[in-house]
Amino acid sequence: MSGPTGDTIIRVDMTNQSVSIDPIPDEWKLLGGRGLSAKILLAECDPACDPLGPDNVLVMAPGVLSGTAAPTSGRISIGGKSPLTGGIKEANAGGNPSQDLMKLGHRAVVVKGQPADPEKRYALDVNADGVTVKEVPDCKGKWNYALIEHLAQSYSDTASFISIGPAGELKLKGASVACTDQEQERHPARHAARGGLGAVMGAKGLKYVAVDPGKTGVRQPADKKAFTGLCKQYTKDYLAGPQMFKTGTSTVVPVANMLNTFPYKNRTEGQSPDAETLDGHRIVESFETRGGGMHNCMTGCIVKCSNVVHDAEGNYKTSALEFETLTLLGANCAIQSWEDVADLDRLCDEVGLDTIETGAAIAVLMDAGEMDWGDAEGAKRLLHEIADGTELGKAIGNGAAAVGKRTKHHRVPTVRGQSVPAWDPRPLKATGVTYCTSPMGADHTAGLIVNPGLPEEEWVRASQEAQMVNALCDSSGFCQFLQPTLDDIRKFYGALYGEEISREQASDMAWQVLQDEWEFNRRAGWSEDGDQMPDCLKQDPIGPAKMVWDVSADLVVKAYERQGDREELFAMKASG
Amino acid sequence: MPQVKIPPPYQGPTEGRAAVEVRGDRVGGCLEDLCRQFPDFRPQLFDAAGGVHRFVTLFVNGEEIARDALDTPVGSDDQVEILAAIAGG
Repeated sequence: MSGPTGDTIIRVDMTNQSVSIDPIPDEWKLLGGRGLSAKILLAECDPACDPLGPDNVLVMAPGVLSGTAAPTSGRISIGGKSPLTGGIKEANAGGNPSQDLMKLGHRAVVVKGQPADPEKRYALDVNADGVTVKEVPDCKGKWNYALIEHLAQSYSDTASFISIGPAGELKLKGASVACTDQEQERHPARHAARGGLGAVMGAKGLKYVAVDPGKTGVRQPADKKAFTGLCKQYTKDYLAGPQMFKTGTSTVVPVANMLNTFPYKNRTEGQSPDAETLDGHRIVESFETRGGGMHNCMTGCIVKCSNVVHDAEGNYKTSALEFETLTLLGANCAIQSWEDVADLDRLCDEVGLDTIETGAAIAVLMDAGEMDWGDAEGAKRLLHEIADGTELGKAIGNGAAAVGKRTKHHRVPTVRGQSVPAWDPRPLKATGVTYCTSPMGADHTAGLIVNPGLPEEEWVRASQEAQMVNALCDSSGFCQFLQPTLDDIRKFYGALYGEEISREQASDMAWQVLQDEWEFNRRAGWSEDGDQMPDCLKQDPIGPAKMVWDVSADLVVKAYERQGDREELFAMKASG
Repeated sequence: MPQVKIPPPYQGPTEGRAAVEVRGDRVGGCLEDLCRQFPDFRPQLFDAAGGVHRFVTLFVNGEEIARDALDTPVGSDDQVEILAAIAGG
């Protein structure tokens, strides 16, 4: 009962386009995704390196359970030193590449070095016959959707792809890494978006990775009976429950607006007058006349939170149009129509950009008076400018901090250089503690706590527990929207490898991920001085209660001290 | 007394309280009493027309009920639960 054996790590040196395939150390077998990425980066990447230089290391690591029959377990972590935050970064995506890599037994792809000629573009082919690097001059500059259409002509139907668009090739700090979904067309719609890891991939000259498992089956657990039983019970329980994400995250808009966490006009207000026209329920209503609907982004997903959005003629436009995108590219820019935001979302996916960072950057430009509030067509033109590499386009593509610097505007809502997501730390203090202390900078997926009534004495513990649960969730391959607990994850791990995983082991694994990441950041030069909210969130009040970020630095830094395990930690659901 | 279970996103008006004891023998009466105790709760639960917001889901003892089924009977040991979809993305 040993579980999957013979797993490997692919190492690629882009300086000479060489490949080696090494066995994964046995002591790393319970590491995957974010945890494995952190371990590799701490061991193999100089934290002081130039994020866009040859010494940075790009990691693509599937979760531990990816490639098995566990439900909704196909998340992949893209890791590296972030050009945006200057610290370690893990950005997480769905789609099918994670499961396809794991079916082939590859626990990570580690990309190092840099080609001598920055104008050259390369691809990595991973399949049952081996791993090869090849030059792909015909792919240079292609937008993501056109790239995948092009690749579909020469690759098998069983292949999935990880790619970058022009923003990554231009090494812009808001660039994302795209993964193809499970649809027949393989839309490059699932993005590891935050932190500019698309720029790291671009700096390595790597345009795409093709993963073709062919007819390779799912990974077999050590304790097949226990594992299958867990899969069936977990699925049954989930489907019998309220399925809170069955209409997608976009339908959260009215609740978020009510809670003053639907930022408007560069976060000068917590509520938008356009909440009705940006509400995802409008998207759901459109399914009846235009087609589209809810689907699973990865094979084997039971959550199906991803919407497929069609245009007025019934043609596919984008997927998924999420709450964060409707907020940052919609309300925060005073853009009123969800259809305009859908256009912007498609453009971001095409060019390969984080919709949060891009929306925040455009809002800063508008707030600085260099563009009208609500100018949707102007925003679309800007996204084309990013792809074209104009000076203004590059500033937007480099994120809100770059636009703030260019315009000398004072209101720049970033932490560690990364834009604050929709979930606002002024009403949600515990989430703010996460933004300040997470190794990821301001990132709601690092530990979101939507509880405006949480007493002050609970903020630190709530943040730390959410950070721990999400760290292990992002290492497991489970999607945060499946909402697994530490208990769920350790039971699946136990059945996969045929050994008991205790609660103590599970919480220690989660804590170790944070420890590794904080250590990387310490070596990269981060200090507690940077654990600060920007002045605008301390000074600009929102809501009837005039809420500002007023949490003391002394309290925030307590999140670095382990608070101790309690029963609630193991029942806490991942949140993102 | 029946109890209303409050989801974390809605605990602002209840100042962090996750459950509140209420008076009432119907779901509607229980929710009205909740809003009487915590007036700021009302806009979180009811729309301008007085109906339960469409993004709120109601349960009685774990069984989902329709949003307009406010006349559903509630006993003294029963639990009314409010759920609101909330996630990132």
